[in-house]
Amino acid sequence: MSLVAVGLGGALAAGVLTALAAVVVPRRVRSAVAGTGTVVTGGAGVMAGVGAMTGSSLSVALPGLLPLSGVSLTLDALGGLFVAVTGGVAVAAGVYGISYTRSHGLDARGVQVVFPLFVVAMLLVPAAASVGTFLVCWELMALFSLLLVVAEHRHRPEVAQAGRWYAVMTHLGFVAVLIGLLVFVAHAADDSFPALREAGRHLSPGAAGLVFVVTLAGFASKAGILPLHAWLPRAHPEAPSHVSALMSAAMVNPGVYGLVRVGFDLLGGGTLWWWLLVLALGAVSAVYGILQAAMSTDLKRLLGQSTTENMGLVLVGVGAAGVFATSGNRVLAGVALAAALLHVINHAAFKTLLFLAAGSVLHGTGARDLDALGGLRAGMPQTTAAFGLGALAASALPPGTAFVSEWLLLQALIHGLPAPGATGGTAAAIAMPLAVAAVALTAGLAVATFVKAFGVGFLAKPRSAAAGNAHESPPAMLVGMGLAGVACVVLALLPTLVLPAVGTVSGVALGVGDPAVSGAVTVRLAGVAGALSPLMLTLALLAAVVLVVGAVRVVAARRARRAARLWDCGGGPMSARMEYTATSFAEPLQRVFDDVVRPEQDVDVTHHEESRYLVQAVEYRRKVPDRVERRLYEPVLAAVAAWGRAGRRLATGSVHRYLGYGFYTLCAVLILVAVTR
Amino acid sequence: MLGLLRKIRRTGRVAEPAPPSPVVDRSAVAAELGGSVQIRHVDAGSCNGCEVEIGSAFGPVYDAERYGARLVASPRHADALVVTGPVTRNMAEPLRRTYEAVPGPKLVVAVGDCARNCGVFAGAYGVAGAVRDVVPVDVEIAGCPPRPEAIVEGLRKLTGR
Repeated sequence: MSLVAVGLGGALAAGVLTALAAVVVPRRVRSAVAGTGTVVTGGAGVMAGVGAMTGSSLSVALPGLLPLSGVSLTLDALGGLFVAVTGGVAVAAGVYGISYTRSHGLDARGVQVVFPLFVVAMLLVPAAASVGTFLVCWELMALFSLLLVVAEHRHRPEVAQAGRWYAVMTHLGFVAVLIGLLVFVAHAADDSFPALREAGRHLSPGAAGLVFVVTLAGFASKAGILPLHAWLPRAHPEAPSHVSALMSAAMVNPGVYGLVRVGFDLLGGGTLWWWLLVLALGAVSAVYGILQAAMSTDLKRLLGQSTTENMGLVLVGVGAAGVFATSGNRVLAGVALAAALLHVINHAAFKTLLFLAAGSVLHGTGARDLDALGGLRAGMPQTTAAFGLGALAASALPPGTAFVSEWLLLQALIHGLPAPGATGGTAAAIAMPLAVAAVALTAGLAVATFVKAFGVGFLAKPRSAAAGNAHESPPAMLVGMGLAGVACVVLALLPTLVLPAVGTVSGVALGVGDPAVSGAVTVRLAGVAGALSPLMLTLALLAAVVLVVGAVRVVAARRARRAARLWDCGGGPMSARMEYTATSFAEPLQRVFDDVVRPEQDVDVTHHEESRYLVQAVEYRRKVPDRVERRLYEPVLAAVAAWGRAGRRLATGSVHRYLGYGFYTLCAVLILVAVTR
Repeated sequence: MLGLLRKIRRTGRVAEPAPPSPVVDRSAVAAELGGSVQIRHVDAGSCNGCEVEIGSAFGPVYDAERYGARLVASPRHADALVVTGPVTRNMAEPLRRTYEAVPGPKLVVAVGDCARNCGVFAGAYGVAGAVRDVVPVDVEIAGCPPRPEAIVEGLRKLTGR
């Protein structure tokens, strides 16, 4: 039996058994059992994924399991990568969940049973080999995650609202994927992926374009891409933190998987405009997502918006790969797709770490509002270190994790200027520099965002009593964060451990023989004169820092020194209210991007009743609304509400009227039947 | 822009001719500063009369900067403090802290009669004392308020120019 079969079978068995065990075991040990079972499930998933990436594959057909379509599973290299990522996130979230669920009153049966099943559903999505299986797993994943999102709806009313948004948006996305794939299946022999692959070669451009655009809408909504992102910053923060990590780090990835699978594999690459559309959506999402995150003051919401940004970057990579592939530059397409897939892995690692650390903050202080946090370094040193590492990993600066994949992405984009006269040359010549600019702007804003999140949230003085009394999380939560942190460090320093495998996967997905990326310590790219050695870079950086600090020490030791009070304008001890808050830190950025974010503020001055010259109170409110949401969603919601009100007039409560409706409808149907027969 | 340039050309130089140097013998500390004195102004409870005159002394007509004196925004950047007004109870401690915040070698200039001996506010309930009761004073400039010429003259004793 191969590694893949053992891993996937083990993951399925472990997940289902854990769910069953969570039903029967007493409450005392339920969290531990469910958490351990999830870790085993995730570990088996990693095994299956790594097995599939290193060459072995698995095909299982169980025609009797599901009526009409049956179940067929195939785990190839592309699916393996996503299965391994999901498994890895599940291991960290599982360990973390043991303590987190117990201390947050989430150890009732509901959450503990659904959690391992959610992991299993996510592991199965990339392994599905027919449209029926894929859609069933997709829907199971959505339903289980919905149940987990609304876990705390009794405690906080916002959770219920977030759950409604999520339920509606995720099902609209599902409907889009369903319609797209059904249109595709109508042209194929049956609904298995090999049959679709065969049909994809003969599909007319119009039909193929329709399938692609409709499925893209569904997959983009899952990945939180503009303009279908509205659910993400609502649902991800309101879920319990270990579920947030699993959703934000793993559940957005099936969107990317579906796009690569349908676009490159099943439809065979398509035409240029598809990928320019993907590229544009990705670039806009990346910039808009990080801009919203930079304005955000809610720690978990900020992380959710940063997910939109990172998925946007991934889509830039996928779109660029498509553009290169359609214009014949398959080697460079391999590099771009490898960058996108590496960013999926990196994002999963650091987003898991960040969400788990945010959950730890929530556990230690009960607050998520950055303006009420601060000074956590003293109370929760390990969590502070974990979040600091995550923030470094998320900002694309040299020793960070995201740096490697964004560097790869930029290399692919910069070298993507086509030779004069190549097909689609003009479009690529315009799109690539714009994409480079978008990626660069995103990277800069990401640094500002994470400096804000870390500096305001964890350093300086506590801004509230809750933050002042912060206490460190229990060991299981720290172990969960530690696992994610180790993954971040390894991916940052030794990306060459995974890059060749990722390069092979992207080569296979695009139908290129050679791996796009190679090298043991130094990353070398195929067809591009670019090389990077993150380990050497970090060592050089460390050496430079040590040298500068040493030199400063030596020079300073020679001069006379005087210890003086910190200059506070002579006014006495500075209070926490004098600190920079998340809002004030973001204010200059908000001013710069005023035309994009359009902040709403209003000032109410209440005058004294005796005289207009005396002011009694001044009230100031400021809000940074999501502009896309305001322009796109609110009119639609208002229209739906208006239709609902109009429809209410039909139901007045009179029984005669309802009988009349029934009678006339029956008559109409009979007439229709009589006429059309 | 052109209008501004034209205005500059038309107006020309408005600074008064430099009066003869009042410097007789500079203190050792002032000599150490080498002719360039960065000044932090502290209002310890003034009626703002002295502030108007200080502003005038650093304006284009009296132009104290040509003698090497310059106003700065923080005591950390300063060589000297210019203190105005009687020191009120609320400002006594901040004045002491400001003095401590100035890196040595440092000087203190008391500007105006209030700073020298509390002036008309002497004995008032909110007044802690003259400047010299709170921090050591090196140069005193008399007047209520002192004329800009007097302030410039006092500052030239520090810069030695």
